[in-house]
Amino acid sequence: MEDLDRTNSPEEEEVQEETPKEEQIPKFRGLYRYVNITVKQLDMIIAACILVIIVVVAINLLDPGFTISFNSMGGTDVAPIEHMYGDLIDEPEPPTREGYSFTGWYRDNACYVLWDMETDTVETDTTLYAGWEKIE
Amino acid sequence: MDQNVILKMTGITKTFPGVKALDGVNFELKAGTVHALMGENGAGKSTLMKCLFGIYAKDCGQILLDGKEINFKSSKEALENGVAMVHQELNQALKRSVMDNIWLGRYPKIGGIMVDEKKMYNDTKAVFDELGIDVDPHRIMSTMSVSQRQMVEIAKAVSYNSKIIVFDEPTSSLTEQEVEHLFEIINMLRDRGVGIIYISHKMAEIKRISDYITVMRDGKWIATDHADNLEMSDIIRLMVGRELTNQFPPKTNVVGDVVLEVQNVTGMYNQLQDVSFNARKGEILGLAGLESSGRTETLESIFGIRTRKSGTIALDGKPCFNRSAHESIKNGFALLTEERRATGIFGVLDIKNNTVISSLKRHLRFGICLSEKSQREDTQYYIDAMRTKTPSQETKIRSLSGGNQQKVIIGRWLLTDPEVLLLDEPTRGIDVGAKYEIYQLIIDLANKGKTVIVVSSEMPELLGICDRIVVMSGGRVAGEVDGQNTTQEEIMTLAAKYV
Amino acid sequence: MTNPIANIQRSVADFKQMDKADKKRYITDLVLNNALYILLFVFVIYTWIQKPNFVSLGSFANLVIQVAAYLPMALGIAGCIVLTGTDLSAGRISGLTAAVAGVFLQKTDFVNKMFENLPEVNGWWIAVTLLAVVAIGAVIGLVNGFFVAKFSLHPFIVTLSTQLITYGIILWFFALNGNNGQPISGLSDEYKTFVNGEMFRLGNVAVPRYVLYAIFLIAIMWFIWNKTTFGKNMFAVGSNAEAAKVSGVNVFWTTVLVHTLAGAAYGYTGFIEGARSGSVAANSGLNTECDAIAACVIGGVSFVGGTGKISGIILGVVILRLIFVALTMLGVDSSSLYIIKGAIILCACALDMRKYLVKK
Repeated sequence: MEDLDRTNSPEEEEVQEETPKEEQIPKFRGLYRYVNITVKQLDMIIAACILVIIVVVAINLLDPGFTISFNSMGGTDVAPIEHMYGDLIDEPEPPTREGYSFTGWYRDNACYVLWDMETDTVETDTTLYAGWEKIE
Repeated sequence: MDQNVILKMTGITKTFPGVKALDGVNFELKAGTVHALMGENGAGKSTLMKCLFGIYAKDCGQILLDGKEINFKSSKEALENGVAMVHQELNQALKRSVMDNIWLGRYPKIGGIMVDEKKMYNDTKAVFDELGIDVDPHRIMSTMSVSQRQMVEIAKAVSYNSKIIVFDEPTSSLTEQEVEHLFEIINMLRDRGVGIIYISHKMAEIKRISDYITVMRDGKWIATDHADNLEMSDIIRLMVGRELTNQFPPKTNVVGDVVLEVQNVTGMYNQLQDVSFNARKGEILGLAGLESSGRTETLESIFGIRTRKSGTIALDGKPCFNRSAHESIKNGFALLTEERRATGIFGVLDIKNNTVISSLKRHLRFGICLSEKSQREDTQYYIDAMRTKTPSQETKIRSLSGGNQQKVIIGRWLLTDPEVLLLDEPTRGIDVGAKYEIYQLIIDLANKGKTVIVVSSEMPELLGICDRIVVMSGGRVAGEVDGQNTTQEEIMTLAAKYV
Repeated sequence: MTNPIANIQRSVADFKQMDKADKKRYITDLVLNNALYILLFVFVIYTWIQKPNFVSLGSFANLVIQVAAYLPMALGIAGCIVLTGTDLSAGRISGLTAAVAGVFLQKTDFVNKMFENLPEVNGWWIAVTLLAVVAIGAVIGLVNGFFVAKFSLHPFIVTLSTQLITYGIILWFFALNGNNGQPISGLSDEYKTFVNGEMFRLGNVAVPRYVLYAIFLIAIMWFIWNKTTFGKNMFAVGSNAEAAKVSGVNVFWTTVLVHTLAGAAYGYTGFIEGARSGSVAANSGLNTECDAIAACVIGGVSFVGGTGKISGIILGVVILRLIFVALTMLGVDSSSLYIIKGAIILCACALDMRKYLVKK
């Protein structure tokens, strides 16, 4: 009887149910180790995030489009224009610069990759750089 | 009679995916009584309590508190309604003072902003005096013993004027004196008309303290009766649902020659000192001793996950350096760790991955690719061999019960084909039926000529299955006794030798 | 068990049995758990209505191309997340390797060429460059991994510092030979063809070669994750490092290798990115790790550690790209996209945690 009693009294026994749930393991591991949060709070966060996304999108939809800015690289100023995704750029009046001739608009300020007004389409906010050639 | 029933739970059912954890359980608690809730692990005791406290949402059933239907959303709400729980794992703000912990979240205020420290102190003192607790309310929790912290928890429950207090394994880490004190307090609470639910595995305690006993098994209500009407053997029979005549399988292993020699092992960062012993082929060697006598450290030093300062280990006459777990596995050692959850299982991984992780080499094809088929075969083999209860190989291991997790880990080690198995508390947190299976497994292993070294805090367990028992005390070997012809007294005397 | 139709049927049957309150809770759960998918669905439908050409073969090709470009980094970073860590240096590493690749593979006759004495660009030299940039990425990853594994420093700290150090190196690099921080352009046509060369056209959109490379990379990573000892060890370490140590897994090397592999993936990303964008600036690769981390979290590679699938990562990248493609077509500008990205990451993490918290 004595023995029976003892075997039924595991000293530091953890209560293991058939299906141990979160309580048995530390609530979170890894990067969430210090997180202490309830489902309700999480729901609020999710809802808030979704709301932020929707509001930001909505604000943008009121005034959609991408700004194409032109850096004339020392020439006369060219005003930025707005375009939608996939549009071709309406070529603005070319800038002028004393002692140079305009060679076109480039994607990079080293003036190596040319923006082809016929085929290149707007994908995001873009700045184009004017290319200049010195007149001999 | 009926009017002093303060808690009535009827038809509580709770289903987890694949398992019916509670199946129409009925439970009644009368004011001014101690009602013991008993059952094996997995019987549904904790789930029932969690349904009461709203930690789980019950699927159906009704909970009446003082005749009113309740449905708590959280344990805080329960506490405010006079239903408190003293957990087995205390959940307290350790860096704060005693009274902070008691009044947390409902500080008495002066003018709505200032915390009224004085009132807090006096109120705490009053509750403590009432319960006969001698603790300074200003003390910081972490400086106190587990028993004192438990008392604080009880005081907190009392300060809420709780009508019902649930004790979940309250004595698991208390000394005998502390248990006496706890029982005094429980008796006092009972006399004041508080209804007490007492969950414990310890029969002797239950018989002493409780007025009523409810036994649960497999999520079902089995019986409720006056404590006086139930003998201990009746309770055990009700709990396991069968007569438990033999706790230990017959010992059939034959002890052979010495294979493992451990000599003068001294630990680098722990108290181990000159630990020497040997173990034979086919032998089950027990390592006994008090808590922190160096048993676990010995196993971990042999296995190489603790640094040794000096000492040698030889297997079959060949020295083994065992500097890391990887090397030890290669040398034919296996270690089942004490803390299954912390260092045993990979909770989020499935059973297959948990099984094969130590023996991936076996499954390598062309030196690089792991064969899915052979992994599945090995896993299935050990699921079948050990009768692990699991829906599939893809089940996450953390959703298994403790005993089944243990079986998976033992399977993991057997796959490495070890010569020496070091088992640290192999049956901790496992229910009676599964324990028997683990014992059988250990004896089977010895039968196959493996050397098994078992560390256990449960003396009857060591006496039941070991051929020889090495007793440790204070980091040293205090003596060696024959497993079949010794008594608990002899072991205890040795265990106290160097304390 | 895994038959989806049977599962749905069972869910429907379960749902019919529930009472009103449970039904409400079930629906709320369903909506919240799938919030991002629902949002995506709404965006796609709205974009479709506004821009009918959104649903076309060309758009599909565009999506595939974008996914192929963003996937390698996500595949690399996912390993770090599986180990309960993260990697903040990913973007900068890819920036550095893009710059190195760009300089190695500039046109021989380009006026502003940074190094004059490099060999002529041919297939052999491209292969050397690719190996070199992958090696550079791997070495930085190795440093990350070493500090994380050896000193148990949090990956946040380690990778934050390598991020800054790498940026410093990038700036140095751009100042070499009197380059003065100018973007590196004039990339050779061989290099561009190797990466960007048209394989076939899909609805008017040229599908570049790196889509094919991305498929190779997926296959390799899938193999590493599922079929190698290293992959199994990685999940074991991510799931429970202590238990892994006891089980004989070499935690140190596993951690180091995961970061090294990640670094190699960033190196490859840089190589592709250089040719994709046509010129490399000091700031290229900036913040791209955020996209990668977001994709992983959306795809179920949880910060909890030890979980994740290659298919999930691909799905995550696809979802993120689809949202951005839709928003770009609607004309949402790039500054707003950053806000949306931030919200998506937070939302994905919250959803991830919710999965672990919701009571059953």
